[in-house]
Amino acid sequence: MMPGRPVSAAAAPETAARRNVEETQALVLLRGLPTLNTKHSIAIVELNPEAKNFGTILQEFELPDLTHPPHHLYYSPNGRLYSTCLDPKSSLFEVSLSRNASGAAMIKGVKRLDTGGQQVGEDIIWHNVEGKEYMIVTFMGGTGLDQPDCGSVGVFDPQSNKLIKLIQARKSVVGDGKPFIMYPHGLSAYEDRLVVTSTVHPDLKTGVGNAITVIDLNTFEPIQNIVVEDAKPVNFPSSPVEVLFVRPTIVPGVAPAVLVNAMFGFETWKIPYNEKDKSFGAPVKVHDGVKAGTGVPLEFYGNQTELFVSHAVPGIVKRYKLSGLPELVPAGPDIKTGLGAHHMIFFSTASGRKVVAVQNNLLNLGNAADKDPTEVPFIAKVNDNSVTVHDLQSGEQLAKVSFKERYKKGVENIEALFGSGFVHHH
Amino acid sequence: LITALFAAMAAGGCGKQRPEATPLNDFTAPFVFGRFQVPTNNPLTVEAVELGRRLFYDPRLSANGKVSCSTCHIQRLAFTDGRTTSVGVSGKPLAFNSMSLANLLWGPQRFFWNGRAATLEEQALVPLQHADEMAQDMERLVAQLAADGEYRKLFETAYGEVSPSAITRALAAFERTLISSNSRYDQFLRGEITLDEQEELGRKLFMAHPDVKVSLRGANCIDCHSQFLTGGSSAGYDGFSNNGLDDEEHLQPGLQAVTGKPTHRGLFKVPTLRNIALTAPYMHDGRFKTLEEVLEHYDSGVKNSSTLAAVIVEADNQAAAAGHISLHLTAEEKAAIIAFLNTLTDQEFVTAERFSDPFAHK
Repeated sequence: MMPGRPVSAAAAPETAARRNVEETQALVLLRGLPTLNTKHSIAIVELNPEAKNFGTILQEFELPDLTHPPHHLYYSPNGRLYSTCLDPKSSLFEVSLSRNASGAAMIKGVKRLDTGGQQVGEDIIWHNVEGKEYMIVTFMGGTGLDQPDCGSVGVFDPQSNKLIKLIQARKSVVGDGKPFIMYPHGLSAYEDRLVVTSTVHPDLKTGVGNAITVIDLNTFEPIQNIVVEDAKPVNFPSSPVEVLFVRPTIVPGVAPAVLVNAMFGFETWKIPYNEKDKSFGAPVKVHDGVKAGTGVPLEFYGNQTELFVSHAVPGIVKRYKLSGLPELVPAGPDIKTGLGAHHMIFFSTASGRKVVAVQNNLLNLGNAADKDPTEVPFIAKVNDNSVTVHDLQSGEQLAKVSFKERYKKGVENIEALFGSGFVHHH
Repeated sequence: LITALFAAMAAGGCGKQRPEATPLNDFTAPFVFGRFQVPTNNPLTVEAVELGRRLFYDPRLSANGKVSCSTCHIQRLAFTDGRTTSVGVSGKPLAFNSMSLANLLWGPQRFFWNGRAATLEEQALVPLQHADEMAQDMERLVAQLAADGEYRKLFETAYGEVSPSAITRALAAFERTLISSNSRYDQFLRGEITLDEQEELGRKLFMAHPDVKVSLRGANCIDCHSQFLTGGSSAGYDGFSNNGLDDEEHLQPGLQAVTGKPTHRGLFKVPTLRNIALTAPYMHDGRFKTLEEVLEHYDSGVKNSSTLAAVIVEADNQAAAAGHISLHLTAEEKAAIIAFLNTLTDQEFVTAERFSDPFAHK
């Protein structure tokens, strides 16, 4: 030990009994499948690949009144848990957690938040502008799914959860050539600039986007659209889905830039950002899925040293050096997961092995073989309905649980329960 | 003979089946405080907690029948006693200031200012037997308690016997239920209230390590008090620190008394800051009477020594002058930090009947 440092047991290996075993537990959003007679729910699931109860639901909180399932989970900086939701009745809610007498985490309930009529909640970030903190949420369905160019961004008070500002700029309303917001899904911010993607109409047939929107957080007004589209390998617009504003808090000293995953373009784009004049440069393709044999890039996750990008086809997670950003400099071989590779969490097992758990589901729509009315042929093919756990160093698959086989449910999202997980997500 | 008889009865020697303890089904604890572990041989049950509460407030636990745990751990003072150092049956001042008992479920693997107990059960035994604190003979105490029908029934259900082990386990079980989670800061974390401008400034200063290069002002509190809402750090001797109270010549043994390591000289447990406004005087020896004095110490009174925490040496809101340790906080900043510390007071905790003296309600 260094003299003068607070005494720490960090140097001594923790025994399995002392290790925080909760790190291996995940909060999982589960989609009930109508033909399999199951209900949407939030569950706490054991994902320790070394445990006998791997894949076991430790506790489940059903949401029987929802027609459409909860979608994405996020912890606020103060440790409050939120979920966006696809159901128009409840597009955003706060999840209440507690502990019982044995210390086990319990899902106590959910509190629906007033979104001002905004529907199809997607992603959330917490961001500080000029000393004021905001909770910012994308709503892909905006104020009505009947609108062919729907979509909005909700700005909330992170303490009271009250809606402060509803940012809406429909293409048909703002007029030609004016910046618009349409089908927003991914979002990321740096200082006073917020970028949101334009992905796809929630009904998956009315329209598909091909751009990102830049929003000025001083005025909460959209100021620019930037198209990110090239190959169109499936003859759809590129459908940008997730976005990451690479910034100095992620990579010290980095020249800021925006990375965009285009779901149907199979591409990852880099958009340089000039901090001095707050201008964005021309997009540059930094990953070409057509050439690389990958499709449907989805999420950006990171740890202290690497950036991980999930690709639903063929079901892999690519890894890049964090220090190399905004360029995508490979950091190791791909992690082969399952069709629909999507969200992921990072943790250490009881023995101290570092692993990544990956949810392999593009969307949890039903299967035609089950005569499921929610079937969308393309998407159903990109679903493994599983969570696979891999050694973080070697990529070796250590365990797999199929939620459809075991619980007759799809898996919508996973998030680490407590004290572990991502460093920068979105 | 009587002791043996009661011991046999407690052990089920009369052929009676031991009643089953009632699980504490309505118990809930805040999720955000983190994971906790309850010893498998001491689960939280209704009977164990009730027994522990009675024992905690019962002066029969001391040799002279006048000192209970609550003598030095008074609820309205967040289970401290307001003295510089506590006084037990001998009337002599003890070596240390009374530590607050709150949120002990989380964190500590070492109890007391110098870490001399590894579990809450072990901790409970020390003052019972200490000649200056309660000076109790455990065999005598077991006999006394076994002779009390109400106690005997509770012991039998909770632990199956009246024994020193059962006594300390019951005390630990009650202490584990002393959860404080409704201060203004808790309410802030839950989104129920907002802090005022001064409290918010204090919160930011509390959370920040100063960095002159980026003009970030900070009071450096969080560097040591990372577990300030709970009972302390959870990994072995983590959470012990030399906070600059004494110079090299006057360094007290601290943790070194337990580990024997010279690098642990002058290191004491970093306490919870929950209800800190109620737990004066401060530090392991109660040398500071007010929070203002504590702030002055960290701002300009830190004394250098070979084991002084590096995070304290490094922290300065001005470009550091060689050999001089100071935070260089303004008067406004110090007042803001104290305002923030006042948000950690949980009035519900210090008045809750479930934590109060059960004998006073009879």
